[in-house]
Amino acid sequence: MAARRHCNRVYVPDSGFVVDYLDLIDAVQSVADGVLFGATYALLGIGFTLIFGVMHKINLSFAAASIGAAYVSLLILAGFKAPAILVFLTAALAGGVIGALVYLVGFKFIPLANPLATLMSTVGLLLLIDEIIVHSTDGVPLNYPALFSDVIIPAGPFNIRGDLVFVFVLGCVCMAVLLTLLYRTKLGLATRAVSQQPVASQLCGISITRVNLLTFVITGMVGGIAGAMTGAAIGMLSPLLSLPLTVKGLIVTVIGGLGSIPGAIIAGLVVGGLENFFQFFRGVTERDLYIMLLLFAFLVFKPGGLFATSAGRD
Amino acid sequence: MLELHRLTKHFGGVRAVDGVDLIVNPGEVLGLIGPNGSGKSTTVNLICGLFPLTSGLIMFKGEDISALPPHERVTRGIARTFQNIRLFGQLTVWQNLWVAQNSAEQRRQNPVRRWFGGGGSAREDIGRTLEFFDLAHKRDELAGNLAFGEQRRLEFARAFAAKPVLLLLDEPAAGMNAEEIDQLDARIRTLRDTGMAILLIEHHVELVMSVADRIAVLNFGQKIAEGSPAEVQNNPLVREAYLGTATAA
Repeated sequence: MAARRHCNRVYVPDSGFVVDYLDLIDAVQSVADGVLFGATYALLGIGFTLIFGVMHKINLSFAAASIGAAYVSLLILAGFKAPAILVFLTAALAGGVIGALVYLVGFKFIPLANPLATLMSTVGLLLLIDEIIVHSTDGVPLNYPALFSDVIIPAGPFNIRGDLVFVFVLGCVCMAVLLTLLYRTKLGLATRAVSQQPVASQLCGISITRVNLLTFVITGMVGGIAGAMTGAAIGMLSPLLSLPLTVKGLIVTVIGGLGSIPGAIIAGLVVGGLENFFQFFRGVTERDLYIMLLLFAFLVFKPGGLFATSAGRD
Repeated sequence: MLELHRLTKHFGGVRAVDGVDLIVNPGEVLGLIGPNGSGKSTTVNLICGLFPLTSGLIMFKGEDISALPPHERVTRGIARTFQNIRLFGQLTVWQNLWVAQNSAEQRRQNPVRRWFGGGGSAREDIGRTLEFFDLAHKRDELAGNLAFGEQRRLEFARAFAAKPVLLLLDEPAAGMNAEEIDQLDARIRTLRDTGMAILLIEHHVELVMSVADRIAVLNFGQKIAEGSPAEVQNNPLVREAYLGTATAA
């Protein structure tokens, strides 16, 4: 075995590196895990992008609200031993409620013409949600239930973690439901109509306030699921999660192209994979540095992102 | 059907609309004309609720609707088209019409079916609308990819999709060729004959003179004349507004 390993050096084209066979397996394994976990980033990116799509505003409190929703599901279900799937559902519902509150507090009565006003109100909400979490849990990380965490699926030289597969599948289901909602139902078409032509959609009988509120509720539910997925994948929740997730969500949104849902999905998976790739080769301390460099490269060379949306407004 | 009482809108010091009284009756086309900047578009924007009034009153079907938000006015039966086309470019022709179905009658549907269903119940209605506006062969094209004349027709069709009783047409003939204007003329007449009230803003004088039952003329935000097309044409105040006074020249 040792001899075989020795003669199985693999040349990676273009990089000039010669990587040991087992190292390569580990690297691929790590990147694959990252891609699976990237579903979480994709959902967060979709949340940012959807709200940007309809309101042309960034909701900076989104990731914090998602973690908050995951916390709510923990607190509600801490008393009795609920199955993990119920925890996820509760997180989605809590996310929807928090989304509605964020809209009412941070957007409804804030002058939308001033681009900074809602940005500041959502920063305030981000800090507020973080503080509420810290005060209600004394800042101690809580364990989060995972599904299928003991399942390991062997696939050739690789091992696929059951909990990550679950997170990935759940993420894909969420995206499929969301895309169906947006492209096949009248509610979704109304949402897209508002994002393309706010004035005309009002004069077609669509209430912009209601569409905005619904968008916040729906993205909130998606966020709640993303929060629960994060908790399930890393096995715990901590108030320290919300800021890095905010940054990741924004990076995904920018790389995917503001307002583009397919962009957010692809960028989420790519960022998830690259994160583990850099972690594998450069260590956890340097990992985010390279992701930031990637963001920088996009901002300089492709500021519109992977899927630059052609603005539908005139 | 629609009554405007002393309708007034000031933008800062500019009196865009200044005490206009106007009545539109069912089954009637009222042409609203005037030089550029005379307040025609502002009047339409006020009727559909895009800005709040400075003062005055808008009565529709005997109710004061001056304070209602725009989407509720649509529900009550007021629809409009835009001078500069504002279609939902990333939606198909069919979807543009589906999204616009928001009349009170259409709202009475079960909300779950209405918002999450596939639009089955709307299919027939939309099909007829597409036929009437000669867009049936384009139903699955993105609105943004249509030719200019087709986009104008879709604007009209989208306003019609909400089953309005009062239709506000803001320069529907702008940029159209003679044949398209003839078709537009015929469609306006057909709709009028179904009892719809139509307020038509138009620069194309021939169309207004041909299709309008009455014409009101605005200048500097005030109504300076009203009457049949022939009366308005011979009104000295109207000639003055369009051509300038002899003394001023």
